[in-house]
Amino acid sequence: MSILSIENLHANVGETEILRGINLKIEPGEVHAVMGPNGSGKSTLSYVLAGRDGYSVTGGSVEFKDKDLLELEADERANEGVFLAFQYPVEVPGVTGMTFLREAYNSRLRYEGKDEADAMEFLKLVRSKAKDLNMSDDMLKRPVNVGFSGGEKKRNEILQMAVLEPKLAILDETDSGLDIDALRLVADGVNALRTSERSMLIITHYQRLLDYIEPDHVHVLAHGQIQRSGGKELALELEANGYAEFDDKV
Amino acid sequence: MNSSVESIVPFNQFIDSAQGDHPHGNRGDWLSEIKEKGRIEFYKLGWPSPKFESWRYTNLNKLAKTQFFLPQDIELAELPYQDILPVDAPKIALVNGKFNRELSDLSTISEGILVNNFQEMSDEQRALFSLENPTTLPKEGLPVKALNDAILSDVLFIEIRPGWQSDVPLHIVSIGCGDHVGFSSKIFVSAGENCRLDIVESHAGEHGSTYFSSCVSNIDIKAGARLGHYKLQNDTNTSTHLALTQTSIEADAVYDNFVMSVGGILSRNEVRSFIAASGVDCCVNGAYLGTSNQHIDNTTFIEHAAEGSKSREVYKGVLADHAKGVFQGKIFVHPEAQKTDGYQMNRALLLSDKAEIDSKPELEIYADDVRCSHGATVGELEEEHLFYLKARGINAESARRLLVEAYIGEVIDEIQSQSIREALSKLASDLLKKKLFERSNER
Ligand SMILES: Nc1ncnc2c1ncn2[C@@H]1O[C@H](COP(=O)(O)OP(=O)(O)O)[C@@H](O)[C@H]1O
Ligand SMILES: [Mg+2]
Repeated sequence: MSILSIENLHANVGETEILRGINLKIEPGEVHAVMGPNGSGKSTLSYVLAGRDGYSVTGGSVEFKDKDLLELEADERANEGVFLAFQYPVEVPGVTGMTFLREAYNSRLRYEGKDEADAMEFLKLVRSKAKDLNMSDDMLKRPVNVGFSGGEKKRNEILQMAVLEPKLAILDETDSGLDIDALRLVADGVNALRTSERSMLIITHYQRLLDYIEPDHVHVLAHGQIQRSGGKELALELEANGYAEFDDKV
Repeated sequence: MNSSVESIVPFNQFIDSAQGDHPHGNRGDWLSEIKEKGRIEFYKLGWPSPKFESWRYTNLNKLAKTQFFLPQDIELAELPYQDILPVDAPKIALVNGKFNRELSDLSTISEGILVNNFQEMSDEQRALFSLENPTTLPKEGLPVKALNDAILSDVLFIEIRPGWQSDVPLHIVSIGCGDHVGFSSKIFVSAGENCRLDIVESHAGEHGSTYFSSCVSNIDIKAGARLGHYKLQNDTNTSTHLALTQTSIEADAVYDNFVMSVGGILSRNEVRSFIAASGVDCCVNGAYLGTSNQHIDNTTFIEHAAEGSKSREVYKGVLADHAKGVFQGKIFVHPEAQKTDGYQMNRALLLSDKAEIDSKPELEIYADDVRCSHGATVGELEEEHLFYLKARGINAESARRLLVEAYIGEVIDEIQSQSIREALSKLASDLLKKKLFERSNER
């Protein structure tokens, strides 16, 4: 059984068709990279998969494990194991990082019919994961992402992923805006989560991140469709030639 | 206006009937005099109407047309603990405005604090009590104060000795009970030089009661004192609450005020602070939570009459259903009040398109070397925030509750006293759950 199976997916943002027939299959443990020029629909794809309102699916299907993903609410998708690391992580005034993580973690446990986590145990778990990502306790006490630097926000996304242990992680340009040290930290965080079960969909504009997180498959998204698929060498080719080849192909 | 014409208004019949209720005890005549003066003043000023500038957004028409009655002697078995602030403190219980010894707990009150009701007040205390608060009055006067006097049945005088500093707050619990009873409570706080105390007020009612509650507090803070004054207005949802707090603050004193308004069909909390000297730190903050067709009015006036003092004001409210909020805030700076530092902000979160807020922030500044700013915002919960929470598995209702709680939490954080902050934050979270998120279970 595939983790994710996208067939002929069409989606609109408002009245405009952005995704124009996407096909993609991801098996357990696989890491897929989706690359493409700006505005090609990469974030749209990630929002459609995460279930954001305002992104309407007009055709095709998405199966997650054996479930119809498109039938589920955004919170249900998350609790089933879909995790989206946002390209632009959201600042949430007044809700501390710790409260946010605890609510998220307990939501999943409740969804699975389990008891909520012991508060002390959970605190310990979060602290140790935060430490791996070089995040201070203070950052967990502050409102989520408020006043964080770009790099801190991205690390915070990876922390959430590490705590929530998803089955499918979608990383939307997690590398953008990171300096080389931050990029290493984030990549180490992601690599630490690679297992034979957990799949990843890594969205990126540049090849750089893929030096650190090695993909099994690379896809090029342009004009709302996957134009080409290949192995990790495709990323290198794109790095050398750019996306010009795909700009003309409408 | 002619009082015989006024008497046709049902509420005025109640005011008139209150005059016949001669208070017991040796100070009865004194109290009767106050009542009579209050009645005359109230009729002279007339019922507050939208024609009055400070009553533009709050209409008392319905109240005036409702018949209320004087409270009978009612036995209340217990205070409604779940509706008042959970603070560990000596309690002064007022039932329908009257001091109730049985429900009070003054066993642990510290010796530096004197509490007297009107019969026990000394001549000195009565002289203090009669002094008018120095704030500049609005053109239309203070009808709430006159009305409060007109139906007065008791007075609470709280004196904190100079230099007396206590970590244990004092809790005043005012409970309304009965069917269409009207009452007033009057509290005078005299905070001596360099004293320190937190005073907490909880206003609630016996379940199923409908009442009119008028509360006036006069607070006199001497130099170097620090007074925390925290109020929860959690009256029953059919009741009306009209309150006025007047404070005068001397040099280097700190006044930390917070009003949380959640109860009543109609409520108005008016806080008027007079900064008489320099080095004062005056905080006037509040939160409000309105649902169904509640009307919640917060009106504040901060008067800087001396150089080099600071005032800070933050109000935040959440309004759902058809609830209506009113915020009127004015900072008034005298010519001699140079180097004033004033900040004022009202923020409202509307959870339904039928909810409404009228916000009127105002600065009136006659000094040229001041730093004053004010502002107001109105918003809704943001889709971006909700989606971020949902994308982490938090369902829509929990996400809304978390965001609303955080919104109110930010203003509760303004409270300087840690124990009160924690108590209020816990209560606010329970109230939000009950009023906004568990309603379907109730019906
Ligand atoms: N909320 C929106 N409203 C209108 N157009 C949008 C919105 N979000 C994205 N788009 C449009 O959809 C296209 C794809 O955007 P996006 O998915 O963000 O691309 P990418 O992530 O690949 O840069 C762009 O043309 C963009 O302008
Ligand atoms: Mg994007």
